[in-house]
Amino acid sequence: MQCSMEDYKDKFKKILLQVEKPGRYTGGEWNTPDMNKKRRADFVFCFPEVYEIGMSNLGMQILYSIINKQEGFAAERCFAPWTDMGQKLKENDIPLLSLETKKPLKDFSVVGFSIGYELLYTNVLYMLDLAKIPFRAKDRGEEYPIILAGGPCTANPEPFAPFFDVIIAGEGEEADLEVLKIVADGKEKGLTKTEILKQIKSVKGAYVPALHEKGEVVVKAVIRDFENAESIDKPLVPVIETVHDRAQLELYRGCASGCRFCQAGYWYRPIRERSAEKCFDFAKSMCDSAGFDEISLCSLSTSDYTDLEKLQGYLEPYCHEKMINLSLPSLRISSFKPEMAKDSRKSSLTFAPEAGTQRLRNVINKNVSEEEIDKIAVAFEAGYESIKLYFMMGLPTETDEDIDGIAKICRRLKDLYYEKKHKRGLNISVSCAVFVPKPCSPFQWEAQISFDEMLRRQRYLRDQLRQIKGVNFSWHGAEPSMLEAALARGDQKQADVIENAYAAGAKFDGWSEYFNWDIWKKAFEDSGLDMTTYTGAQDINAELPWDFIDIGATKQYLLKQRELAYSAVTTKNCREGCNGCGALRLGRCTIC
Amino acid sequence: MLVIKYQKKGDASFISHIDLLKHMGRIIRRADIPMNFSKGFNPHPLLFFSPPMVLGGQSECEYVFLSTEMNSEEAFRRYKGAVPEGLMALEFFDVKKNPNLQAEIEIADYVYPVEYRDIDLSDCVIRYTKKGEEKEENVSSKIFGTFSENGKLCVRMAAGNSPLRPDRIIGKLSEIYNEEISLTEVVKVRQYVKKDGELINVDDFIKEGKF
Repeated sequence: MQCSMEDYKDKFKKILLQVEKPGRYTGGEWNTPDMNKKRRADFVFCFPEVYEIGMSNLGMQILYSIINKQEGFAAERCFAPWTDMGQKLKENDIPLLSLETKKPLKDFSVVGFSIGYELLYTNVLYMLDLAKIPFRAKDRGEEYPIILAGGPCTANPEPFAPFFDVIIAGEGEEADLEVLKIVADGKEKGLTKTEILKQIKSVKGAYVPALHEKGEVVVKAVIRDFENAESIDKPLVPVIETVHDRAQLELYRGCASGCRFCQAGYWYRPIRERSAEKCFDFAKSMCDSAGFDEISLCSLSTSDYTDLEKLQGYLEPYCHEKMINLSLPSLRISSFKPEMAKDSRKSSLTFAPEAGTQRLRNVINKNVSEEEIDKIAVAFEAGYESIKLYFMMGLPTETDEDIDGIAKICRRLKDLYYEKKHKRGLNISVSCAVFVPKPCSPFQWEAQISFDEMLRRQRYLRDQLRQIKGVNFSWHGAEPSMLEAALARGDQKQADVIENAYAAGAKFDGWSEYFNWDIWKKAFEDSGLDMTTYTGAQDINAELPWDFIDIGATKQYLLKQRELAYSAVTTKNCREGCNGCGALRLGRCTIC
Repeated sequence: MLVIKYQKKGDASFISHIDLLKHMGRIIRRADIPMNFSKGFNPHPLLFFSPPMVLGGQSECEYVFLSTEMNSEEAFRRYKGAVPEGLMALEFFDVKKNPNLQAEIEIADYVYPVEYRDIDLSDCVIRYTKKGEEKEENVSSKIFGTFSENGKLCVRMAAGNSPLRPDRIIGKLSEIYNEEISLTEVVKVRQYVKKDGELINVDDFIKEGKF
């Protein structure tokens, strides 16, 4: 029997008190756009993580806001229900519902998933399952909506391609709306799904797996005029505390540093900055309309933003008057100035040298020198007593000497700190991830170190750091790092693996309490695939599964960067002159 | 200085007290009502709340004291435009100082979604789990009477420092009435302070200003 929407609302309300944090599921956020307007077509943004994490995603809020500003179109949201709610939905036979109007996902025109991280793949299936939507595009008839994917993982969409009708590679600001309009027109004209998909195929950035022919190239979607592009002026005010519970101000897209392990640094090219005036307008509008008491400046390397000082000049008096805290994340050591930290809370500083020795930092093109690390002393003078350092382990060419370097940096920082005769001890927390070779970066061909080697190097570093008082060491698990690498460079055969893993109970793989290594090992085996073929070195002459996506930077450029890495030669920051990566073909780089 | 009396209903009834503190600060910022802040290293707005309503239940009588120079009339006007329906204000009071409702409130009236009957709660034993431990408690001394509120059952109970949570007697009431009662339909309607053995409605307590 079909339930009406009202029935679901009532049934849903009844289970709210039986789950943890019911505020995750109520909706009703301040600044929610009008949901009663007439809709030609509607879009539900699905985020395969819980509310607290999903609501912190800047991209989704931007896209949501754009669609809702359009006459005749509406966008709603849906986050992965935590496992307790997932179970209650199944027990009570309630399909997965949107947050705003409690409408079943399968009654929307387009169901769009934002996939930002490989370990979310099973959660996509979890949500489709709860929504009672078949996993594979080929198994979904006319009665099902268009199921779409976007987000950073579209750099290599192949592992999840069979699940989707459309995948938008690149930035969704224009593409999502275009797709929605095509769907609305198509429905009004009575077109079939295949006819609609044919039209969607011509949207920039759109990859339609079912209609894709070998040799075809999908050009990543890029917002050319970022200065005048829509952004969030009225952010949703979360019902419960989220991970980034504040106004997030996007200063620019892209990154000029060119770190060779970094997918985002290449994926978001060309670099496009927004003027300080425009940024300030957005900041004011966000805080005034939402009531946030904190602004964070968000970009890949915030302190590299050309107009940072000018923007701070605008923001400081405003924040001072309104008692708003201004926080500056992702600082690069080389551009740290004590003035920047003057007004922010002096709790902890975060820096990411990524590698322990100059040689290895040259390999990865992280242009941070020993002298620059010494500059952290300025922060100690400014009153900081706590510092977080991020490193990566298992980078190409890494030896134990490079790991020794991490301990050396810690000792050096302690010496610098005590030169200033501080009363309290210095807290250093060292966080060490395992290098995961990612598509669309110069290290896309590199091998990930073996599982046993990960464990050995982690032990080695831990033993070294134990000898230094005041150092806290945390590391990423070897198992999820290996899985992440395997899925990152996967092909379409992996759709079976993901399906097998989900069937065996895998979901919320990014949560250590749910990550189950045995399920994944078995899922690969049962699909007849060996994880190490994906985590091992890839042939530079072979065609890679994601080669058909044109990200701007060319394969030749990535290869050249790889060669430079092996000779430990750095490449200059894009701000010092164009390195000719090729991204200019897709749009103007505003710092060139 | 002001006391805001507001409701907590609908979606807002699922906002936890901790999150509510944040929401109220944001509402007041959006409303552009100037706030006084605590002094010190990490200044926070001077907001003081009445005892929290249990998560999932509704309320028509939540209070928050706000240190501001703005008068109640102007502040009320601004508040209305900055708040979701679920946290709408019912009244604004001008006060000379913080009435410290967190400490003063001792009793509250809760309306349950069942018809009023003369029921006997004089020997009310409830069972609940607290921190994973099964508990049994006779709460009769925390129940001060039942009466009809527009035909519905209203129970007067201890609130404040040693409260009886309104959800804890739902099991007992469901037994007596032989029907399922949902916490989402329970409404806190009035709160009281006790002075010289006498109950004073918090609204009157604030208006009289004797604190």
